[in-house]
Amino acid sequence: MDERESKTVSTLATTLREVRLLSRDRAFALWVMLALLLSILAVAGGMNEVAQQRSTLERLVQADRIDRADAQRQHPDWGGAAYYGFHLTYDPPSDFAFAALGVRDHAPWKHRVRMLALEGQIYDRDAGNPVLALVGRFDFAFFAAYVVPLLIIVVLHDLHTSERAAGRHALLVSTAREAGGLWRQRAALRVGKIAFVALVPLLVGCAWAGTSFGTTVAATLIFLAHCSFWGLLAFWMAGRPRSSEQILATLLGVWLLLGIIAPALGTLAIDRFVPVPEGADIVMTQREAVNDAWDLPKDATMQPFMARHPQWAGYAEVGQPFHWKWYFAFQQVGDQKAEALSQDYRAGRRTRDRLAGIVAWMMPPALLERALQRLAETDLRAQMDYEQDIRDFHAELRAFYYARLFPEVPFDPSQLDELPTFTPRGDS
Amino acid sequence: MSVILAVAREEWRYWLRSRLAMATALLFLLLLGTTVILTALRTAQEREHRLEHQAEAEDSFVSQPERHPHRMVHYGHYAFRAPPPLAVFDPGLDPVTGQSIFLEGHRQNAAMLAEADASAELGGLGSLTPAFVYQLFGPLLVILLGYGAMVRERESSTLSTLLAQGVGGTRLFAGKALALLGVVLLVLLPLVASTIVAIAGGESVLAAGLLAGAYFLYLGVWGLLSLLLSTLLRQKATVLAALIGAWLALSLLLPNLAVNNVTRAVPMAGRIEVNFEMLAELRALGDGHNAADPAFARLRGDLLEEYGVDTVDELPINLRGVVAQYSEAKLTDTLNRYAGQRMEVERRQAAALQRHGWLTPLLAVATASRAIAGTDLRNHQRFLREAEALRFDFVQGLNRLHAEELSYADDINRSSDAAAEQRTRVAAENWQLLESFRFEPEDFTSRAAAAVPALGALAVWFAALAAGAVWTSARVRP
Repeated sequence: MDERESKTVSTLATTLREVRLLSRDRAFALWVMLALLLSILAVAGGMNEVAQQRSTLERLVQADRIDRADAQRQHPDWGGAAYYGFHLTYDPPSDFAFAALGVRDHAPWKHRVRMLALEGQIYDRDAGNPVLALVGRFDFAFFAAYVVPLLIIVVLHDLHTSERAAGRHALLVSTAREAGGLWRQRAALRVGKIAFVALVPLLVGCAWAGTSFGTTVAATLIFLAHCSFWGLLAFWMAGRPRSSEQILATLLGVWLLLGIIAPALGTLAIDRFVPVPEGADIVMTQREAVNDAWDLPKDATMQPFMARHPQWAGYAEVGQPFHWKWYFAFQQVGDQKAEALSQDYRAGRRTRDRLAGIVAWMMPPALLERALQRLAETDLRAQMDYEQDIRDFHAELRAFYYARLFPEVPFDPSQLDELPTFTPRGDS
Repeated sequence: MSVILAVAREEWRYWLRSRLAMATALLFLLLLGTTVILTALRTAQEREHRLEHQAEAEDSFVSQPERHPHRMVHYGHYAFRAPPPLAVFDPGLDPVTGQSIFLEGHRQNAAMLAEADASAELGGLGSLTPAFVYQLFGPLLVILLGYGAMVRERESSTLSTLLAQGVGGTRLFAGKALALLGVVLLVLLPLVASTIVAIAGGESVLAAGLLAGAYFLYLGVWGLLSLLLSTLLRQKATVLAALIGAWLALSLLLPNLAVNNVTRAVPMAGRIEVNFEMLAELRALGDGHNAADPAFARLRGDLLEEYGVDTVDELPINLRGVVAQYSEAKLTDTLNRYAGQRMEVERRQAAALQRHGWLTPLLAVATASRAIAGTDLRNHQRFLREAEALRFDFVQGLNRLHAEELSYADDINRSSDAAAEQRTRVAAENWQLLESFRFEPEDFTSRAAAAVPALGALAVWFAALAAGAVWTSARVRP
């Protein structure tokens, strides 16, 4: 056996010895079991929630059609059909949403709109119970961002001190071929085992949910990178000449700082740094515009309306005190008046989110959570994309009715079958 | 007694010399101080904004020009939820619930525009508020100061000396507990500062006292648990690991797992879903805009009979207004019934979550804290109900004008006859019928009563651990 070969064999032997030692470590086995159990709970909880959301949507899509038909049957004219016909829009959970439920527990993912001014409807919320939203859910992203680092800290902090306490430290260091390698190997084994058992339920979940291969790989890599960060940090701290309590307390402090304090301060700072118009102002502006229109000359509505919709310019004349086309025109003008504020509001939220994305690089748990939520399309960006989809759909709805209200096409209920239907992003 | 005091004094001296203890305590107090100031400023600003918006909304309603009263029914009004004084300490549900409602005829809108919708998302476990800092970080401070108290004496073999000198396990434990009690009282000072701000804002001293009591019990639970494990386990490192494990389980895992559990055990259908059923029911009630709707045939017959006339034109009142009043009342009954059912389910979920307070003191103290501060679900629902009462009140006031001030003939011709349209407008003074709305905090007794179950859970935790401490400390052996 030459020198190199013997080295390989002995490395293999030490590795096997370490694996054996670790498998006999009862306390460590307990932490591994805990990691596995919690990961299963997190994934199962997420799966359950996603299944509930899916079945809710299935029921809603059905009920929405029936309800609209019922409502429109009672109002046999285009104006009535538009006024009384609500349309469901929704944002179905993605195939990875189970792992990171994101903003879906406090932001609405289903919305019914009709052809009135959109700014008056879009901030309506069909969100869940605020008491539960305040606490938040136990999903994989939460588990991976906050709990896994703590588990890694707990299993690594006494890497050296436990051996010192047992009086084996000096012996281990002197008999190991290379002392540094031994500790690295031990640390890697511990972190690897925790990461592995935490990952398995996620992968099973992905397979079950039909998550795309790319997403699964990306999530795995992100998760492993996060584990490595905490592993390296804890490994470095554990090697310092301190008591195990001091090491544990310091690591805990870093965890609190990176996981809780910094994100909270970051949110506070970003919200202050990037002001957005108050939502109340948008809604009130729109409502004043809509209501003033009743008392204004019809022209005051039709002119700004026609500026946007020149194709109906030939039909701008309103003879009677009330006409549906005028009614919907001032709904549209109400939106136009609130447009600048509304765009600022949206742009402000996007800027906040972009800044949060940058700031998150300084706080790994936030970075992990954001990355997983991006993959799951459950982050603020996805939420805003959904909002944009509602706006686009509402515009289609308007186009449909305008083409009938302005040229005064005789009412034909069979045409209602051609009403635009909302197609969620993933389905198109 | 003097022995107990001596032990406590010695413990304090130890902490003052320990860099770990001092650093932790200073960091905690710094974080807490900053949070108290920031939250107080933010809450004051929020409150001012919302009160301003409320005044503006009222102003713009009453300053509307003369017009048809039904137009005002759709013009509508806004109700804003002003945060109660103790929100400076615990804003509770405020950031995750809509802060305003648009009130209009025939509809109950949801509260809209929650702060969380527009906020930057950086994850985290919550926004930094004094309540959150106490709930999550308070136990850690107590643990880091308390974990070594007894086990240290054991590890350095001073325990046997102390016992041999006749100090006794109970008195030793009592001394350590007294020292930790001092820490807890000291740590509660920022809470007191925060409640002083609230008291200046009109909060009762009793509420402030009860809030302090709740957090005292909470930190006490963790203090006793730390000392208990410090007595029972034999190594400092084990004690710390066990306590951190307990904190991880009780404060980080259980609350979120409880949420998963509650949504499974008490499912709640969304508003849209419930509304489908409601909308069908509402359609059956008839359209209040249309006095000719067959649903109102009986009402019409009764009116004709009551006034002894043959046609609706002869009625001294405007049939359309009467129908509007009648149908709004019917419709509101239905709306309230559905809203009531939804609130009931929300309350059942909240109660189910609260029952998990028997498993983790964090949920117990969080529930009690929100209840005492008046920022809990009950108070949000009270806001919704008060806003609804306001809505019904002004809508029916307007409908009464519609019935009594307008002639039926003008009313039915107003869409085609400009002169009739002019005559259907009522004077702007009538808009004064709108009641001014301020969401006032609930009285202290009701809030305290709502906090009782959660406080009870905390008290039981405290009592059980105290009993455990008495039993264990009397049996301390070297």
